[in-house]
Amino acid sequence: MKWFDKDTFREILDSISRNKSRSLLTGFGVFWGVFMLMLLSGGGQGFKNLITKEFEGFAQNSGFVFANQTSKPYKGFKKGRSWDLNLADVERLRNLVPELELVTGTVNLWSRKIVRDDIVATFSVRGCTSEYAQIECPQMRYGRYITEADNAQERKVCVIGKRVYNELFPNGGDPCGQRISVDGAYYTVVGVDWNEGSVSIMANTSQCVVIPINQARRAYNMGNKITLLCFTGKEGVVMSDITPRVREVVARAHYLDPTDEQGVMMFDSQLIFGIIDNLFNGISFLVWLIGLGTLIAGVIGVSNIMMVSVKERTTEIGIRRAIGATPNQVLGQIISESIVLTLVAGMGAIVLSVLILAGVEMALTEEGILKAAFQVSFGLAVLATSLLTVLGVAAGIMPALRAMGIKPVDAMRDK
Amino acid sequence: MTLIELQGINKTYNNGQPLHVLKGIDLNIDRGEFVSIMGASGSGKSTLLNILGILDNYDTGTYMLNGNLIKDLSETQAADYRNRMIGFIFQSFNLISFKTAVENVELPLYYQGVPRKKRHEMAMDYLERLGLGQWANHFPNQMSGGQKQRVAIARALITKPEIILADEPTGALDSKTSVEVMQLLKQLNKQQGITIIVVTHEGGVANETDKIIHIKDGMIGQIEENTSHNAWGGSVIK
Repeated sequence: MKWFDKDTFREILDSISRNKSRSLLTGFGVFWGVFMLMLLSGGGQGFKNLITKEFEGFAQNSGFVFANQTSKPYKGFKKGRSWDLNLADVERLRNLVPELELVTGTVNLWSRKIVRDDIVATFSVRGCTSEYAQIECPQMRYGRYITEADNAQERKVCVIGKRVYNELFPNGGDPCGQRISVDGAYYTVVGVDWNEGSVSIMANTSQCVVIPINQARRAYNMGNKITLLCFTGKEGVVMSDITPRVREVVARAHYLDPTDEQGVMMFDSQLIFGIIDNLFNGISFLVWLIGLGTLIAGVIGVSNIMMVSVKERTTEIGIRRAIGATPNQVLGQIISESIVLTLVAGMGAIVLSVLILAGVEMALTEEGILKAAFQVSFGLAVLATSLLTVLGVAAGIMPALRAMGIKPVDAMRDK
Repeated sequence: MTLIELQGINKTYNNGQPLHVLKGIDLNIDRGEFVSIMGASGSGKSTLLNILGILDNYDTGTYMLNGNLIKDLSETQAADYRNRMIGFIFQSFNLISFKTAVENVELPLYYQGVPRKKRHEMAMDYLERLGLGQWANHFPNQMSGGQKQRVAIARALITKPEIILADEPTGALDSKTSVEVMQLLKQLNKQQGITIIVVTHEGGVANETDKIIHIKDGMIGQIEENTSHNAWGGSVIK
């Protein structure tokens, strides 16, 4: 017996399409299940992306150190002493904590007067190295980021954040090559960083003018002082394991108590990422639980309605048997009808949910840049489709077996 | 030449109280005969027809159809015999309501695996022969009883069966269309030599056939040759 040819398919399609209300009812359960599953998983994913976006650009295993007034007396020094990080700390960490992948420092200044032509604004200034891009990844809208050469040659160049750009260049366009004044010194704009993450260390990147660290130190007479030490761990290194070592190295050099957690302030991103990851793992577990539950309820509905429909179709099936349909042909027909129904309903649901998610994405798109991806992946759609086929067979088996049991005489009994 | 050979057919239904419906039926029907089986309701005539149509099993005895023993067939074999050898006509027409006339006629060929285009042509051909050409794309509920029965006859004929089994074919029809349907069956028997067995309780219908088999209480009573069509004093369909 041919299991799939055009004729069989036409026969199945006829049976489905000419009993519209029955088919609609049957398909709706599956439609709703798949629709909910897709929408929830897309929505959950999108929500996660939206939250993750706030942390975007941050290396997941990064850590930061900054100086604060000491809270413990140490080696004859009173508590409450102020101290500063310096460039030598970068070298110390590089040499003494081998688990670190990258160590770099930044200089941060707040409320600086930024002028372009007749526009005056107040923003932060961050002096950093090219390596800082690996701590907080820039999204360059125009131009480039600070390079090693910028630092080596102490070039007066700057990369501006999104809000700085919007304020200083209200007419838009590529600002690269134009000059802006930062506290009276002129810098050439070489890039615009579109990063909008709301998590920021010392200052939000979108409100920063980023200049080479060496230029910043010189312009503001800071000598070797730096504001912030940034580092990332090597792969597999757990940040919380090495923070005490990092603190100790820094504390030793500055005559601080190595256990002074307030004096040597530290912050690592892994902690927060961990919490968020757990949260969203929980959410996606729930999403799948609810989605699959709805889907299974839908499939049971299909099975149920098919069961009723087989009962209702006793005469029809009996006639088919009387004029020569074999039990296998009847079995095949009912199962195929079930598969086609679940597949069509399920795919309709996939298409609708994809459209809705696309709509959500469109609503969240600002200036051509998508805030967060809500769309379900192609793989998930394929998975859902194959799952549907399996469920379609499962839903069809019981009704089909019952249909197979119908004897042709049953058709005549219903006179 | 004997087409159907029944020997000592017994059939008992075991629904609660055992019911001995057929009590040793011996019957021979030759190719090309036009036979009616008459009997009161409960006499076992429908059971006999179901056994002849391989829709039901019998307990003891032998049933030879065209030289083949029909006993303990698998459902698949039975379906194949029904499909190729036997055409059914039912009292309630038993057309599939969501299929058009031509699709109903095509259905047996679908189960034979005949390609769509070919079986459509054949079905149209049969419908036209029965004068239903312009009704081909109508659904059963858009047709009159006589038309429906003619569609059912076309469906029974399309596989070119050896036998046509008609269970009260005029039971749901008025007398005028009953006459037409019986004329049609008679014509098929005479012109194409198809063996036709009609189950009925109406004398007028039985009188149209060439041989009347009376069945009473599960046994064959009298077999009446009726080539002159004078049974019941030449009774006609009421």
